[in-house]
Amino acid sequence: MMLKRYSVLITRTWCAALLALSCTSLHAQVDTTAGAADDEDYGQYDNVGFADDGAKRFCSPKIEGLSPAKLISVGYDYQMGYQMIADSLRSQSPFAPWGNFNPDTGEVAYSHGLRLACNIPVVSKTSLVWQLGANYWEQQYEFKDGNSLSNPMLTALRDNGLRTMGINTTVFKPLNDKQFLLFQGSADMSGDFQLSKLMPARYLKYSVAAIWGKRPTERKQWGIGVSRTYRVGELNYIPIVLFNWTDASNKWGTEILFPARAHVRRTINSRNMVFAGYELEGQSYRLYRNNDPSANFDMRREDLEIRRGEIRLRLVYEFSLKGFVWMSVQAGYRINYRYDVDRLTDGAEIYRGFGLVSDAPYVMVNQLTNPLYFNISLNLVSP
Amino acid sequence: MVLILFGGLFSGFVQDTKEGDRLLGVWEPSNGRARVKVEKIGTKYYGKIVWLKEPTDPETKQPKTDKNNPDPGLRNVPLKGYRMLKDFVYKGKDEWADGTIYDPLNGSTYSCTIKMTDENTLEIRGYIGVSALGRTDIWKRLVVKK
Repeated sequence: MMLKRYSVLITRTWCAALLALSCTSLHAQVDTTAGAADDEDYGQYDNVGFADDGAKRFCSPKIEGLSPAKLISVGYDYQMGYQMIADSLRSQSPFAPWGNFNPDTGEVAYSHGLRLACNIPVVSKTSLVWQLGANYWEQQYEFKDGNSLSNPMLTALRDNGLRTMGINTTVFKPLNDKQFLLFQGSADMSGDFQLSKLMPARYLKYSVAAIWGKRPTERKQWGIGVSRTYRVGELNYIPIVLFNWTDASNKWGTEILFPARAHVRRTINSRNMVFAGYELEGQSYRLYRNNDPSANFDMRREDLEIRRGEIRLRLVYEFSLKGFVWMSVQAGYRINYRYDVDRLTDGAEIYRGFGLVSDAPYVMVNQLTNPLYFNISLNLVSP
Repeated sequence: MVLILFGGLFSGFVQDTKEGDRLLGVWEPSNGRARVKVEKIGTKYYGKIVWLKEPTDPETKQPKTDKNNPDPGLRNVPLKGYRMLKDFVYKGKDEWADGTIYDPLNGSTYSCTIKMTDENTLEIRGYIGVSALGRTDIWKRLVVKK
């Protein structure tokens, strides 16, 4: 039986080889310029119909000219020198006999860190796109006068830096050839924790966004929605506006998800793009590590979170290094929006609603001066 | 015995050819921007652009060419007639593979597999290296009206 199968296989292979040889001259090098001189009657394709009457078209998640989505990103972020003017602890801590430590100013020589992200399509169909992603960002602080710092927030930043690790998901659901729904959700662990000792899940921060949008042409998509976000450090519920557009010449466009980010795009060619605009970045970072066990002030018991939010005015140049490997180079100005500290007992969230819902005071109100910053990343981009 | 073997082989080959040839015809990607005619050359399948929703380049006012091609020597080639699907081989089970798909919008060529979900619907998946890093588009069969 095995011998018989083997004989059939050999014979099939031999015949296929003969057939392939006989056809080699036909398809060894197929000319891509077939249309330049072929005798196809192209006019007949103006008048066509679907073979299947029930066929339905769905709009694409992309528009023409949009910068390519990043599947995998490895980057490095660098902020030049600035001052951190740290406040005293404004309300008595139940655990801190020395809770009224003094204000202190730290001279940051530079802050920097790795930024890793991946975003992999799980389902990628015309009728549904579902992606899962993960990210890791870190920010290490290098102080000029590190040994003389006394404020616990500054010493925690000096010794531990800040990290964000998270998972996220994006669902694009086209309703028809013009309308779509877009959902995004993420769960992030942010703080001064060690990678070897993560924080409990109750300190995760959840962000979500939902958008209804339209894609009236191949060059325009817009949408409106709502989001739950920590982009300015503390929790906010805000409306969002999506507006991606490319002009007829394909040279200019916008990539906007207001208020999170907004950029004007100048397309040099399909492999070189320049952007000018801003991004709102931020998260709520729990001070979780007890970096001075000999002291009576145990950070882990204080429920303190740094509400960090910053506006990054920037120029970005993105270009294809080779094929699907793109490089992104950013330079800009980092404007501190907030670097204040809240006390969140057992992780219970404070929602101020820009002061309309609550006027709960921060336990520390800190000031940061604004430096230039640079960011470089290597990216594998999506088809 | 040899005759039986050849007979079996030949009938199998004819069957594969017949099944593979179901890909022949005119197809429209989901964005409706183009229509692509799949032809067979030798034992492989190729798809050329036969219609464009926007056939004229807004800048030059001339028929669109492959201006995003990484090879400068090919940037003046007309898009109409351009073979954007190349080298597909029928693998059985309604699937064509080993081919590539070219995206004129960015000048990139992707590895590609084609799956026929029914006689009038194709799932075309372009990807980078591994299939997981890719995107699937649905193409629908068109019929030319007389």
